[in-house]
Amino acid sequence: MTSPLPAATAPMSAEEHARLAAQLKSRRVARQRVQNVLAYAVLIVIALIMLYPFYWTLITSFEPTGNIYEAKILPKGVSLRNYAEVFSGTTVPFWRLILNSLVICVLGVTITTTLATLAAYPLAKMRFPGRDLIFYAILILMVLPNEAGLIVNYITTIKLGLLQQTNPVIDAVRQYMAVVLPGAASIIGLFLLRQAYLGVPQELIEAARIDGARELTIWRRIMLPLALPTIVAFAILEFVAYWNSFLWARIMLPDKNMLPLSAGLLELSSTFSTNSRAVMAGAVITIIPILIVFLMGQKYFMKGLEGAVKG
Amino acid sequence: MTSTQRRVSRRAQHKLGGTGAKVTARNTLIAYAFMLPFLILLVVYHTWPVIFGTYLAFTKYNIISPPQWVGLANFRELLADEQFWSGLTNSLKYILVVPVIQVIAILVALLVNRPLKGIGFFRTAYYVPVVTSFAVVGLIWNWMYQQGGPVTAVLGFLGLPQNGSFLNNPATALYAVMFVTLWKGIGYYMVLYLAGLQGISPELEEAATIDGATRTQVFWNITLPGLRPTILVCSLMSTISAIKVFEEIYVMTQGGPAGSTYSALFYTYSRAFVDFQYGLAAAAGIIIAVISILFGLINFKLTRGGKVDA
Repeated sequence: MTSPLPAATAPMSAEEHARLAAQLKSRRVARQRVQNVLAYAVLIVIALIMLYPFYWTLITSFEPTGNIYEAKILPKGVSLRNYAEVFSGTTVPFWRLILNSLVICVLGVTITTTLATLAAYPLAKMRFPGRDLIFYAILILMVLPNEAGLIVNYITTIKLGLLQQTNPVIDAVRQYMAVVLPGAASIIGLFLLRQAYLGVPQELIEAARIDGARELTIWRRIMLPLALPTIVAFAILEFVAYWNSFLWARIMLPDKNMLPLSAGLLELSSTFSTNSRAVMAGAVITIIPILIVFLMGQKYFMKGLEGAVKG
Repeated sequence: MTSTQRRVSRRAQHKLGGTGAKVTARNTLIAYAFMLPFLILLVVYHTWPVIFGTYLAFTKYNIISPPQWVGLANFRELLADEQFWSGLTNSLKYILVVPVIQVIAILVALLVNRPLKGIGFFRTAYYVPVVTSFAVVGLIWNWMYQQGGPVTAVLGFLGLPQNGSFLNNPATALYAVMFVTLWKGIGYYMVLYLAGLQGISPELEEAATIDGATRTQVFWNITLPGLRPTILVCSLMSTISAIKVFEEIYVMTQGGPAGSTYSALFYTYSRAFVDFQYGLAAAAGIIIAVISILFGLINFKLTRGGKVDA
């Protein structure tokens, strides 16, 4: 090998040098621009694949008549008839389903978040015999597959008497609890919150303890505010989970009037064989709250998910 | 303070970098009081199903009369049951989704990791199917797949055969459901891979580029190895959920047509909640669990334990 440099080129003047640099730069910029255009094209195609099914359902739900399953960009006519039909056209009590879903979500999110924020505190910030044992036992439960869960939890719920019929109000409360309780001890939630609490400086807690604060006060006044982003992320995750759950409720609740919206929607589609557009209207109504919550808490939500993997 | 307590506390400190007030009986009581409601529900709804479910697998049980010990009879019955085998076969076929969804999710994550204007909109859009219930998603795709519907229109546009009634055709139904799983899951794995990508140091990629590595070389030698821990987690999760596929089938095909989408967990569900054979269903559950663990281990091997260094 001789010299790695290109052989005998004439030395460049400063002017030539600058021109070459500018040329290279503009070529790079041009290439970058082409790449960006390509990237946007691909991004848009994927977005269409992801969103068109929702959009199509939305516009079809507004159409009064016509070929229902046709692919289209715009609705052929707009009317609210199908939406009216959902609420009045079948034996499925739609208002009641909405109410059920709201109650189940509020109960579920409140209980699940409270239990996890409480239980994670000693695991992160206190010292007591059995702490490691409990923590590792919980982690093992997280990875252990639990196929019998559905079956045994069904049996447990019946044995606990949550489906007994005595008085309409108490029955309703018990049935809501039957839907909420199996998911209320969230291992992922405990894990996320423990991680968040570990980030709270120990000095802060020690200082409060020296000042004579009780543990419950420390939890409420120091831990909860400082872990708030994680708590919000977790609460949103739980809201989505409770709002979307349908299988457990359908197995558990013999009374149609007690079903949450997602489960009731399936009921609607099996009884509403003549008017799929009304079921589409029902689907749109079911999605809207989740979209609102998701868009509002989107930043927290994504972070919460990332935290769950990185741990 | 007694010596036992001191030993416990020192061990606790060693293992979890423990901190906090001294170990006293009172503090221990407070700690357990904080955890009590959680632990009760954990035992009732998470631990007990594992224990009682395993026991049930060896019994005949219909809730009304007490469980009757039958030894391995349930397992023998399952192995002789053609329906169980076809369910298991369909569940294993479903694993086909895993490599496809992982590759697409990684590519999409790379795409949305670029610092482009409005990229947040695309990330959010891709996540919308993830936050929507299978009840809704299943219904929407049932409509989309109708003869003459949007799916047919797209296939026609691409010049492909326009057999729209995929869900009514035993040869295609399983793949049509798989596509919905894929469509719904991409956004979820995309976010996880995005988190993984952001954990890779940009200096490493820059240094390689300065050293003259092409983009493809950077991807294969730096980005992909850096993603290995995430790939392990994601492929593990998606393999296990493929074996346990249920909700999309429940909403879209109910196991049909002609049993072509009947999955292993759908079998378990029918035995329990249609036939009330809880023991048999629990036994099927155990077989599915064992298979999931097995595939988990295979995954672990294939991704070399998710270690970053090759």
